[in-house]
Amino acid sequence: MERRELLKTIALLTGTAVVGGEIFLTGCKNPVTSKSAFTPAMISLLDEVAETIIPTTDTPGAKTAKTGAFMQIMIEDCYTKKEQDAFMKGIEELEKKCNTENGVSFTKLTPEKRLAFLQRLEREAKEYNENLKKEKEENEKTKKEDPPPHYYSMMKQLTLWGFFSSETGMTETLRHAPVPGRFDGNVPYVKGEKAWAE
Amino acid sequence: MLEDYPVLRRDYPLNETVLDLWVKDKECPYTETKPFSWFRGYHVGGRSLMWGRQSYRFNKWDFEANLKDGHGVDWPIRYEDLAPWYSHVEKFAGIQGSKEGLEVLPDGEFMPAMELNCVEKDVAEKLKKHYNGNRHLIIGRSANITVPHEGRTNCQYRNRCWRGCPFGGYFSTQSSTLPAAMKTGKLTLRPFSIVTQVLFDKDSKKATGVEILDATDNKTYQYKSKIVFLCASSFNSTWVLMNSATDIWPEGLGSSSGELGHNVMDHHFRCGAGGTVEGYSDRYTYGRRPTGIYVPRFRNIYEDKRSYVRGFGYQGGAGRGRGVQVAEFTIGAELKEALSVPSDNWHMGIMGFGEMLPYHENKISLNKNVKDKWGLPVLDMDVEIKENEKKMREDMMNDAKEMLEASGVKNAYTYDYGYEVGMGIHEMGTARMGRDPKTSVLNSNNQVWDCKNVFVTDGACMTSASCVNPSLTYMAMTARAANFAVEELKKGNL
Repeated sequence: MERRELLKTIALLTGTAVVGGEIFLTGCKNPVTSKSAFTPAMISLLDEVAETIIPTTDTPGAKTAKTGAFMQIMIEDCYTKKEQDAFMKGIEELEKKCNTENGVSFTKLTPEKRLAFLQRLEREAKEYNENLKKEKEENEKTKKEDPPPHYYSMMKQLTLWGFFSSETGMTETLRHAPVPGRFDGNVPYVKGEKAWAE
Repeated sequence: MLEDYPVLRRDYPLNETVLDLWVKDKECPYTETKPFSWFRGYHVGGRSLMWGRQSYRFNKWDFEANLKDGHGVDWPIRYEDLAPWYSHVEKFAGIQGSKEGLEVLPDGEFMPAMELNCVEKDVAEKLKKHYNGNRHLIIGRSANITVPHEGRTNCQYRNRCWRGCPFGGYFSTQSSTLPAAMKTGKLTLRPFSIVTQVLFDKDSKKATGVEILDATDNKTYQYKSKIVFLCASSFNSTWVLMNSATDIWPEGLGSSSGELGHNVMDHHFRCGAGGTVEGYSDRYTYGRRPTGIYVPRFRNIYEDKRSYVRGFGYQGGAGRGRGVQVAEFTIGAELKEALSVPSDNWHMGIMGFGEMLPYHENKISLNKNVKDKWGLPVLDMDVEIKENEKKMREDMMNDAKEMLEASGVKNAYTYDYGYEVGMGIHEMGTARMGRDPKTSVLNSNNQVWDCKNVFVTDGACMTSASCVNPSLTYMAMTARAANFAVEELKKGNL
């Protein structure tokens, strides 16, 4: 049930249902899987995008958690063909947009500029997803597959999902007790202390 | 995975940590005249590995309910008949729980109880006060041991039960009954054996053993015995009966009453209420308790009278989730920080588990047009909930909200995720016990009326469902019937 909770949180934070979430919860794999054309360059771009969303602080960030590689697995196993295509196209669009706005590839930007760029994408994604709402309501009635959300929303979802289910995410950014050995339902909590991973 | 589970992929228990333990419905299909979720485990240990471990006694009213309100037939036993056997199996399995002295939820032989967390304690106290001591919130009684027991290590609070506990922290065939049986030196375990029929001798009117199909080599073998116990998880016990002695009874052994396969029951659930609890942001938990809270039934007992019969209980709990209070468009270090701490408020949720009445028309039957991987006919499910259950579900939601609000829970909301029969994984009925061979399949000692040396002691034998989780009752029933069988064997009656 923990994973269900995580997916709920991610949906809340990205304002749209987690793409691939339902298929994931029932154990994958998506039968329509086509080996998508991920290149090492794309994976490292995704690592850098993820690292901007969840950076290294006093604990490792999304790049250390290999979030780019996680994205590839989830997309290949749990995304529909339509969602896969939208994501792959999104990688191109992100690079194109970054080049137009900054004159260089995302990976060449300073951390500050990366953050500013993605914050602009946050706004763009929100608007885009809201415009999809009507189409989704129509689909609800006709039981048609929902259109994929903005590509950035998918990237952010997969970043949070991958990071908070990774070993470093769960044991260093969060706390984890593999064998607690006892239960105490009333321990003091001091503000700022890390949350239990599960 | 999806290809192997064309039907059950829709439901929650399937996920990759336990996938190899659920029967693949592609290999072992069933058909649905009405939607039915059937979760099975055909490995050694069966569903004892994946069960929810909640362990409650039926109360005295449960055994009288059918007689009083006229649904189904009267149980041939009463609470007093089963009470010593509840004690017997509780001591053997190891059940943690608190003694509450409630008629509606009889106490048992408990190990020290797991603790309510601080928010649950608070809610329990407020609930008691608001309802003048007539509604209770207690720790969920479960088959997780809190002290070492029979070579098993006590629960380590990992909450990984479904993966099969390496400590033997919860009761399962593997942790408990199998080692005990091995110790006798008299057990032969034969896995990969599909019992296809009980062998019936029409002259002596007795079973002489069983025939099995070896799932690995597709050959049949016969095993002879003086008695046969069917404990194949409700529907499969009935399936075996339906395939037995068909030369005498076309509908199978035990079908002379016309009740074999009928009166299917489950527990209907997946509706209730939740909300947030403020004022505990300086409190947290340590360890992962493998049980929640329980609210025993309060409807249609004593003076309470509703527009439906029977009742429901609640399961649930309070917990402190992770932070989600993040300003819009926040990313980077700030987002990471916000997501790495607990949320300010706790969440408290309860879900109703309601009794389903035994309706004759709710039935399973053999579908000979569809065969499983081994060429055996499959079961067809024709079961639904009716008005009584639907009315009850309204109360299950609204009472939950009212009680949470009365306990100071904020932002209370109700929900109904929808229910189809089988989701409770508490299949009951189809070979019910009764007082009359004309209206029941089994007698008061779980013997098939038409064949006294065949016993059915799993959920199939249930005459009514109560609203509490049924496994402990099956265990007690089995121990009682086994004791009876041994006594009868000694007397030469079987």
